[in-house]
Amino acid sequence: MKKKSKRKSAEQPKLEMTPMIDVVFQLLIFFIVTLKQEDIYAHLDVNRPAPDSKPPPEKVDLLEIMVYDEKKLGGEGFSMQGKKVSLRVIERRLKRLARFSPNMSVIIKCHGESRHLNLVRLLNVCADAGLNNLSVFSL
Amino acid sequence: MTPMIDIVFQLIIFFIVAITIQKDFDREIILAPAHESPIIEGDDPTTFIVEVDKRGWISIYGAQLSKSKLRQIIRRRYNRYGQYPVLIRGDYRTRHNDIRAVMDICSEEGIWRVSFVAIQEKKT
Repeated sequence: MKKKSKRKSAEQPKLEMTPMIDVVFQLLIFFIVTLKQEDIYAHLDVNRPAPDSKPPPEKVDLLEIMVYDEKKLGGEGFSMQGKKVSLRVIERRLKRLARFSPNMSVIIKCHGESRHLNLVRLLNVCADAGLNNLSVFSL
Repeated sequence: MTPMIDIVFQLIIFFIVAITIQKDFDREIILAPAHESPIIEGDDPTTFIVEVDKRGWISIYGAQLSKSKLRQIIRRRYNRYGQYPVLIRGDYRTRHNDIRAVMDICSEEGIWRVSFVAIQEKKT
């Protein structure tokens, strides 16, 4: 009887766990190191007029802001009603105007040489003020 | 040991799945910040993403293409889906003229829903 039980235990294969766990931990560390968290993206919606159309005639609830190349003309790259203004001033004015007419149309006239950053900054300020009726014209 | 190995495998599966979700965008494009703008939610399958780098080169999912090719793709998609949203991922240094070229193609082909992508919250 004793001989039989000895033979049985010798036949059973033993699974070695240590190398497997090592490999698994290596993989785990690799994935933790390589995983990058995605940025959260925002969208800035604009109305685009047809290329050959002209800007609509001026109305009371219509505001015009110009974006230009600040390297050539100085300032922060924005002008409102013909005057160079900083983005902070635009933000303050837009918030005040949006309180009285939230459906106000904002016409953004963007100079071809201006950087995309300026346009995004202005659209962001408009979104913050709650103005959604934005049209971008290119100069 | 078995429960521990189970947990480790679960973690590995999670990381593999999370890595494959990451989209193939041009990593050279640095987006402008827009912390007050609405977050892009959901994943509209018809959304068309056009990338414009700082030199004004147009690409789709990392593949560079000419303006005429872009026009062709936009027209074909319009014939298939009708009106669909276009997202422009423009580098913050890009000249407006280069962004305008993409917007003009969109409006000439009848696409009116154009949006710019910006960073709402930076994670990396």
